[in-house]
Amino acid sequence: MPPKEESSKVTRRSTRSSASVTVENSEPIESHTPTIDDLTFGEESITIDAVLSNFPGRRSQIFDFIRLMGPLDCPTLPIMIYGGASTGKTSVVLQVLRHLNRPFVYSSCRTCYNPRILFESILNQSLLHRKCSLNGYSSAKRCDKPSDFVNLLREALSSVIKTLESTSETSRSDKPDEKPMGKMVYLILDNVDLIRDWDKGTIILQFLFSLYTVLKMPQLGIILISGLPPDVYYSNMGYTDPIPLYFPEYSEEDLRQIFLRNQPNRKLYSAFLDVVLKPFCRVTRRVEELSTTFSLLFRKFCEPLDDLGISPNEDMKRRLYSHLKPLIAHCLNEIFRVSSHPHDGETRGERRQKASYSSENREELEILDFHMSTSAKFLLLSAFLASRNPATLDASMFDSTGGMDNRKRKRKASEKSMEKKEIAEQEAVMKGPGSFPLERLLAIFQCIASVGDSSFGEEDEEEENTTGYDKENNNLMSDILLQVSSLCDANFLIKSGSCPLEGSIRYRSMVSEDLAQKVAKSLSFPLSKYLYRR
Amino acid sequence: MAPSGTVADPPQCSTTDSFNSSDTAENDIRPFFVLHKASSGNHNGKLTGIVKSKRRIESPSPKIAKRSEVESVEEEDGQFFSTLRFKVFETVWSKIEKTIEDVLRNSNSKVFSGIHDWIRESFESIISSGALKLSEAVRSYPVLTQASSKQLLTAMVLTRNLEMVDDLLTFEELELHLKSQGCHVAKLSSMDFSAKSGVGGCLRGLLRQFVMPTVDVADVTILASWYRENKNHENPVVIIVDDTERCCGPVLSDLILILSEWAIKVPIFLIMGVSTAHDAPRKILSVNALQRLCATRFTLSSPAERMDAVLKAVFLKPCSGFTVSHKVALFMRSYFLCQDGTLTSFVRTLKIACLQHFSLEPLSIMLEHFCHDGVNQLSGEGTELLTEATMKHAFDLPSVTRNKITRSTFEMLPHFLLDLQRMPNPWSIVVLCLYEAGKFDKLRLLDIFCEILDPEARYLKYFSPSEIVNSQSHNSGRNNVIRRVLRKLRDLSPSQLSSMLKSWENLTAEFTEINDKVIELHPFMRAVEAAGQRQGLPNSPKKHASRSNSKLEKELKAMTDKVATVIEFMLREYMKPVESVPFHEILCFKNVDKLQSALLGDPRGRIQLDLLESHDILHCVCCSQRGTTLLPSMHDTSILYKLAQEHADVINLHDWYQSFKTILIPRSSKAKQKSKSSSKSKKRKEICEEPEAPAEALIQARFCRAVMELQITGLIRMPSKRRPDFVQRVAFGS
Repeated sequence: MPPKEESSKVTRRSTRSSASVTVENSEPIESHTPTIDDLTFGEESITIDAVLSNFPGRRSQIFDFIRLMGPLDCPTLPIMIYGGASTGKTSVVLQVLRHLNRPFVYSSCRTCYNPRILFESILNQSLLHRKCSLNGYSSAKRCDKPSDFVNLLREALSSVIKTLESTSETSRSDKPDEKPMGKMVYLILDNVDLIRDWDKGTIILQFLFSLYTVLKMPQLGIILISGLPPDVYYSNMGYTDPIPLYFPEYSEEDLRQIFLRNQPNRKLYSAFLDVVLKPFCRVTRRVEELSTTFSLLFRKFCEPLDDLGISPNEDMKRRLYSHLKPLIAHCLNEIFRVSSHPHDGETRGERRQKASYSSENREELEILDFHMSTSAKFLLLSAFLASRNPATLDASMFDSTGGMDNRKRKRKASEKSMEKKEIAEQEAVMKGPGSFPLERLLAIFQCIASVGDSSFGEEDEEEENTTGYDKENNNLMSDILLQVSSLCDANFLIKSGSCPLEGSIRYRSMVSEDLAQKVAKSLSFPLSKYLYRR
Repeated sequence: MAPSGTVADPPQCSTTDSFNSSDTAENDIRPFFVLHKASSGNHNGKLTGIVKSKRRIESPSPKIAKRSEVESVEEEDGQFFSTLRFKVFETVWSKIEKTIEDVLRNSNSKVFSGIHDWIRESFESIISSGALKLSEAVRSYPVLTQASSKQLLTAMVLTRNLEMVDDLLTFEELELHLKSQGCHVAKLSSMDFSAKSGVGGCLRGLLRQFVMPTVDVADVTILASWYRENKNHENPVVIIVDDTERCCGPVLSDLILILSEWAIKVPIFLIMGVSTAHDAPRKILSVNALQRLCATRFTLSSPAERMDAVLKAVFLKPCSGFTVSHKVALFMRSYFLCQDGTLTSFVRTLKIACLQHFSLEPLSIMLEHFCHDGVNQLSGEGTELLTEATMKHAFDLPSVTRNKITRSTFEMLPHFLLDLQRMPNPWSIVVLCLYEAGKFDKLRLLDIFCEILDPEARYLKYFSPSEIVNSQSHNSGRNNVIRRVLRKLRDLSPSQLSSMLKSWENLTAEFTEINDKVIELHPFMRAVEAAGQRQGLPNSPKKHASRSNSKLEKELKAMTDKVATVIEFMLREYMKPVESVPFHEILCFKNVDKLQSALLGDPRGRIQLDLLESHDILHCVCCSQRGTTLLPSMHDTSILYKLAQEHADVINLHDWYQSFKTILIPRSSKAKQKSKSSSKSKKRKEICEEPEAPAEALIQARFCRAVMELQITGLIRMPSKRRPDFVQRVAFGS
């Protein structure tokens, strides 16, 4: 979410006011006792130019936000900052407050995932309380009702404001150089759009939006950060509308400026951005996503180079680009990447095998790479067929001899009926796999398992052991419902609603055709004979 | 499953006239010796037996006294061995079990070390990028640093098995391994990720394992605060989710999003167990959560690989001496491949086979000495257990009678047992050599093991010249293991042949006869390598670029023929199946039917047949008289199930009940008899025989109970809400 920027490590100066605060509990020296200074950002204040340089493309938003905050100790109306993900909303707010050196309380509705945790998080920060082993990791006050929260928050904020006033008077006379904190406290609520998914989220949202009106404390400023626009939160209740501040998506030039910051070799990275920025901006403009992908691609981009400090010329740029080009299309489409660790022994073995069996590369890709029992494989194929084939074709498809070869001939289709078939086929593809009852699955399983048993029977007959055939048949059928449960656990089968007529559970196969082909190949099962092609 | 307490007595020895007077005297002395031994075990009843037998000896009829002595000795042996056999079973099985556990632990240790190395490397890089101050670490707003990526370092552990049974133990051992290395480890299962408790449920599970068991509210800031206390921050935090695919996707996504927000302040490593493919989380997690994962793949050994390791440790290396026959091995392989494919079930099968072996075979007590590998003990202490009754039983074993070994050579029994004990050594070496050769074709040790146990040694026919010529055209040869090994030999490259011969040489180092044969192949191997170097393409012998290439082909073909000769030599000389050795019943379990009935039970169709043909099982008088007619004396469930056959898949409950009621009330039969206008004497007889008609309430109660039993059995399904009048018949597996 936040753009990249350096944070300078500065030892925080201890002020006289922190020493004057009485500590109720004596804690070990190592641990940290929250003080009034912890309500500010905690590091040295930065200039407005530093804030602007940290956030290219956000100049107007920063100035608007500072204007809405107003001068020191000036009451302000609630502010709602909204925009897409990874547009710098939270970072800008925090950096501006760092620049202004004003106390604030921050809570994210993702970490605080229910009302009680949210309320107690705000109260703990206001009361300068930290959960630790000494207090049994409990909150300062228990609070799970909005009405209790209003009263407790008013008390806590009144106490903080009194402390701020006394601190302000002291610091004026003793330290004229330090920037004053003022007497305003800002409440920052991040990710408020997540509240809508909570239990009774609508009530909580209305409460938070009316908090300014209910509290009636001019020393409190409320800042709401949301991923959704204010129109989503409209309701009939009367409350003060927060002032909206929109953070649009970054432009391509803004992204270039963002990624070029803090690069040791700007020319080399600029050449890299010339290659990758335009195609990736069409997919996403999230800095978070692009940053992860670009760091991976930049390492690949620099592989042919020995010295990372050089300025590339045109010929070198072309060479680096051709080296990188095969990866770009791949990374554009991929969301989830799994890298291999060098300690993974299996990967080494596989690589060695691939090197020695170059002709078998295709076979290895087609081999099923996890273990399933034979009955689970047949059951998976049964589910695949039950989802793909129409139910009316089961009788002709799964007769004793099996397969579509029994059809003597097909009628010649006219153009009209072929057109209808194509339309029906497209509709079926759009709908996805169909659902089927459990009885149909087990009936198909029984048919194709007997087909599979005949291949086992051939093996047994060759070994002159006819009793094995019967035992194999018994083996496949036992514990079949347990196999159904296993396929459901592995997400190969999902339960999809109930039949409106009989109320029984219907299943749906989530197996891709590639996986079904792999399973059928491992069983030597003629899947294409049983699969209906429109 | 409980073994029978009494063992069937071995057949009595009939006294023949061939015994001379001195032999008879010796035979009389031996029972006294055994009785004396038994009485030392504090058996009070035996003292009375001794006294009684003494009196009988003094009696005037000596033949009767001798028979009674023999019978008492036999009973005593049965009881004594029955107790001893279970002790030996516990000894043997505990050794097998420990061997299996060690093998399974070693098979995963490399992956576990890899995971730990990955965690430590990543943890060091996180720390080196900048340590946070205490106040920064516990604040609620995010840290704005250059490396403030919210990526969550994740290991995808690929279990490669659809079933989760084996992997539960694996992840428990992974947890112990990481904890022993100093990591803070918490393990969550799919039950923690339920949609009902939401993300709070799994957070509470985490905090209970890390912080304290009584956390009021599950809050991530508690974890951050705990991490900064008492030097907890010197070690990484690891969260293991062992069955990712079973978790509730939205809840897991929420947890990942929350943890990634705090990934800078608390270095969290996520380990997810995936069973099908390493990109399986793509189906479960949301796009936002997928973007937060910086995933690295680790692969566990597959069930087939672990099976091979277990087989090698239990049956091929000196472990316990216990082994199984060809049919039992085939059944166990089929059970592993066709049922659930878990090693847990295979070990359970092995334990049942071992237990049944000790409960059925009296001489299985000898396995204790095999277990300890004490040759001297076998010749000394072991023979004390060999009473005359057990000697009779030993020489009546099928393998002994087939080899025409008579009782006159019973002094040779220790010699036979010694050979039986030493036999597995060259046998296992040959099996391992075959396994090395079969690795190039990805053959599994389980398949090799099943084939070479064949007592008829059918695999030897593949070495005949006509078979070698015809092997190319046999399509069904794919399923044969030895044939596949021989065909694969022709496709090996010189480097592969060389590596195989080196491994063979290592395996046969302790066995001179085979090792000499392998060493003899070295000159031919060097000739092949020389030809390959001259060609300049050692790994591509199939090319026909020049005449020297054809020379390389000739050298290679000669080499493979000699290797096949060595394989044939090994198989013929040392691959004797255990079932062809005398006295092998002592340590080899052969009863495959008992094992199958213990494991599989009856198929579902058996239930239906039993209900339809109850007369064939009960053999009752009333049913045989009336043929297939339904009678009130039949069991209610059978009556109902037979009536259900008259209906289609959907059965109307009211009609079903009326038919059932008609069967039970004898008044209808009276009416039928009257309508047939039978004689008066028959009428009176039936009136006297028929019981009173049961009450309506009783008929309904019996009907409901029978329907419930059919439902429990799984043969019918109860009415649904929309059709309360009908039940549905579940018809499959018939």
